[in-house]
Amino acid sequence: MPKKIISYLKHSFPLSVSNVVSEGNLISLSVKKEQFYEVLLALKDDKMFDHLSDITCIDYIDENEFELIYHLWSHIKKLRVNVKVRIARNSPSIKSVVDLWAGAQIHERENHEMFGINFEGNPNLSPLFLEDWEEIPPFRKDFDTREYVREHDYGGD
Amino acid sequence: MKKITPKFIKSKAEARAYSLWVVNYFNSCGFLELLPWVGSGYDMERFGIKAVGSPRHADVLIVAGYITKKAVKRVKMIYDQMPSPKYVMALGSCPMTGGMYWDSYSTVKRIDKYIPVDIWILGCPPKPENIGHGIVMAMKAIKGGFGGH
Repeated sequence: MPKKIISYLKHSFPLSVSNVVSEGNLISLSVKKEQFYEVLLALKDDKMFDHLSDITCIDYIDENEFELIYHLWSHIKKLRVNVKVRIARNSPSIKSVVDLWAGAQIHERENHEMFGINFEGNPNLSPLFLEDWEEIPPFRKDFDTREYVREHDYGGD
Repeated sequence: MKKITPKFIKSKAEARAYSLWVVNYFNSCGFLELLPWVGSGYDMERFGIKAVGSPRHADVLIVAGYITKKAVKRVKMIYDQMPSPKYVMALGSCPMTGGMYWDSYSTVKRIDKYIPVDIWILGCPPKPENIGHGIVMAMKAIKGGFGGH
């Protein structure tokens, strides 16, 4: 079953799909930013990946990039797919997938808050956990939590 | 008008000590360690302690576990709604020093910067026996005339 999906993706998106790894019931692949929405749409509509479990983010500060990982699950095929997309770190912005899976809203909102990524088309990206936050987003690698705590909680000692 | 006698004041303090109504602000593991007091194992109702739904009926605020910077505003709101005399108990090392979240950007390190705390109960999390010790200490202090805030 995973082989069929891999060959389908490689055939449909030969230029943007790369680094395909398959292990057990998990397929992981990298997609270029220009075509990531089409890949997700194809996975959802043609291959029945009806559930978006999570959207996670990794901060590759040395390469000046964020990597977003879309965790998909198919209830029918019992298969997982991790779709990885790299975006530039300077002005991180990507198309929202709320219109594909409504449950993406809260994950995108959290990633917006913790990494400062702008999801174009998401209806509500207001702060979820942090109130009155004025620093850079706290999950970024260049945010020094000890330095922040020393200044704000321990009076600068 | 009748004069308020020392005997009346003493019996008032005693009545107060044996009818502590608590409102809980629980975040994490502190709740699990206080649960035995709700059930029949330690049975807090034999001391006259009762959990109430509204802070307007409560004498004691129990703050258990870490408090985030977003939650501390709500804790303060609950505390402000309680009628005087009121007492605050802080459970565990998290409200005391930050505990294991001492270098976190989002937790409050000392709760007594925001609300006055009368009894600190040590532990990470405190055992039910420690909580009982704290409760008995609080009852003794109130019986002895401690007026809270």
